[in-house]
Amino acid sequence: MATDAPSLPLGDAAEVRPLRKKRPRPADAAFHAAALGAVTITMGALVWLLGAILASGLGSLDWAFITDPVSTSAERAGFNSALRGSLVLMLITITVAIPIGFAAATYLEKFAALSRSQLEGNAYARQRRLHEMEAAGATGFGVTLKRLEVRASFLWARIGPPVNRAVEVNISNLAAVPSIIYGLLGLALFVSFVGLQKSLLSGGLTLAILVLPIIIIASREAIRAVPVSIEQGAMALGATRWQAVSRQTIPAAIPGMLTGTILAMSRAIGEAAPLIVVGGVAFGTQTPSINPTEANDTPLFAMPLQIFDWADRPQQDFLDLAASGIIVLLVVLVLMNAVAIFLRNKFSRRW
Amino acid sequence: MDTDGAPRLARRRRRPLEQATLLLLGAAALVSVLVTAGIVITLITEGAPFFADVNVMDFLTGSVWEPVNDTYGVLPLLSASLMIAGIAALVAVPLGLGSAIYLSEYAAEPVRRTIKPILELLAGMPTIVLGFFALDSITPALQSIGLIDENQIFSALSAGIVVGLLITPLISSLSEDAMRAVPRAMREGAYGVGATKRVVAGRIVLPAALSGVMAAIVLGVSRAVGETMAVTLAAGTQANLSANPTDPMQTITAYIVAISKGEAVRGSTQYQSIFAVGILLFVVTLIINLVAVRFVRRFRTVYH
Repeated sequence: MATDAPSLPLGDAAEVRPLRKKRPRPADAAFHAAALGAVTITMGALVWLLGAILASGLGSLDWAFITDPVSTSAERAGFNSALRGSLVLMLITITVAIPIGFAAATYLEKFAALSRSQLEGNAYARQRRLHEMEAAGATGFGVTLKRLEVRASFLWARIGPPVNRAVEVNISNLAAVPSIIYGLLGLALFVSFVGLQKSLLSGGLTLAILVLPIIIIASREAIRAVPVSIEQGAMALGATRWQAVSRQTIPAAIPGMLTGTILAMSRAIGEAAPLIVVGGVAFGTQTPSINPTEANDTPLFAMPLQIFDWADRPQQDFLDLAASGIIVLLVVLVLMNAVAIFLRNKFSRRW
Repeated sequence: MDTDGAPRLARRRRRPLEQATLLLLGAAALVSVLVTAGIVITLITEGAPFFADVNVMDFLTGSVWEPVNDTYGVLPLLSASLMIAGIAALVAVPLGLGSAIYLSEYAAEPVRRTIKPILELLAGMPTIVLGFFALDSITPALQSIGLIDENQIFSALSAGIVVGLLITPLISSLSEDAMRAVPRAMREGAYGVGATKRVVAGRIVLPAALSGVMAAIVLGVSRAVGETMAVTLAAGTQANLSANPTDPMQTITAYIVAISKGEAVRGSTQYQSIFAVGILLFVVTLIINLVAVRFVRRFRTVYH
């Protein structure tokens, strides 16, 4: 129907520009190049960084470096005290942070999401049971307790949802607080107030508080990934909500929760700032015990602290030692991440 | 129907243990509130005695920070923190946004899946490592191009550059998430009327993802202000009110480290001063984080 086309200025076919031919667009090419350049520069910096560390650190990295304790002489100084210190720190941190973190995540994800009307429903159910008890003529302590429970659940129906929301906002804010502030908290709370002194225990507890929000956020995501239908299925068969959550949802979410925890621990193991505030930089040649129950009496040793101590000195020998320490730290980090990835790939399920 | 013979449903068993467990779980969630309260309370109670010795206005407006002479004017520390964060933003915003645009608009899926974890490696790098990198590589590089003096070790510039590298993956990752959330239909519509990739990225995707992108940048800056180890190693420990980015400077965080490294006696003004500057750091990062939240709320557009 080309002849029907109105007065389009297309006299003969020769004047029609071929569609497919691309005009050169310098601005587009430049934009593409700039975006690619940004990625290249960033990755280049990473390569430069790793190269620089290997170049300075490989020379002084040998088995003796791993087994020797700290020393004031660069030739004899080793990383063993720092490794032991970090190991104990991680044990303390994980023991404290996992139970609290997993419990808080379970609560926030599964029990705090109830709306006011659902909570009121629970409260009315309790009230009905109270009335039944009263109608049956029951008296005494049990009834008084039930009355209190009914009161409390009506109160919770009103204040619960806003309180839970506040807790959630609070956790995401905590995750953005600079780590050195946690150090100040640890210094005032554990070192001075509780009286644990500048010990591995104080450091481990401080790191536990630091990673708690990260563990909670990651665990909540893992729990959320398990479909609600699993839980509803269990409840349809007569399980209570807690039974459904604890026997169906949580076991299915555990690999994800552990993956998040390992990633949080890999943040903790590289943290130096809060530890310096809590414990200073340890001197002397003492070898810290790897028995966590003695952590209370052990000065704070840790890999990032040792690296800082060495990097902070002007002599080139110590700078090289710092690089060797960084290599060891990075190897540990890579191993931790490998475990996390393995867990995720091995146990993750698509629902 | 014989009602007596019908099985009775109802009457759930009471499970007191379950109630107790739930209370325990709730208590664990409350720990996070206690942590926040603990931070605020310890900063205030340990920092308050400092302001008995030092006038608050003198502290906030003083331009000389010499703890050994009992002169506590916080401006040198604050300006150093902000300047390093500013340099970091100058480095990280182009790199981070460029990477985000490349990953979300240009890169093929396998390329994206390879590059993204590599960038995240940089984000997971302990900051002490970046401090070492600044001392070992960035500073010598700056010396060799003549930006800083041959025998000068510390500079705000060097610290700002590594902190910029540190927050680049943060900005790129969060921005990319925001860009990928922009619906495909909007892109296709623009391509349909003849837009090129550059136009789609710059005029469609970026404005549509603006809230997320701005929040990413602000969070990156907040992270830079609170960054400690890299700036301590690279910028030095000499409080210095200067507008010259090549000068050595001491940030708020570096001051806290410098005092903690030594043996400040509990109760001394120096010991109290780290809590006083801690309050300032906490407030500054809190304000920046609140700005990020505001950005997200203000410019958020929900697509269906």
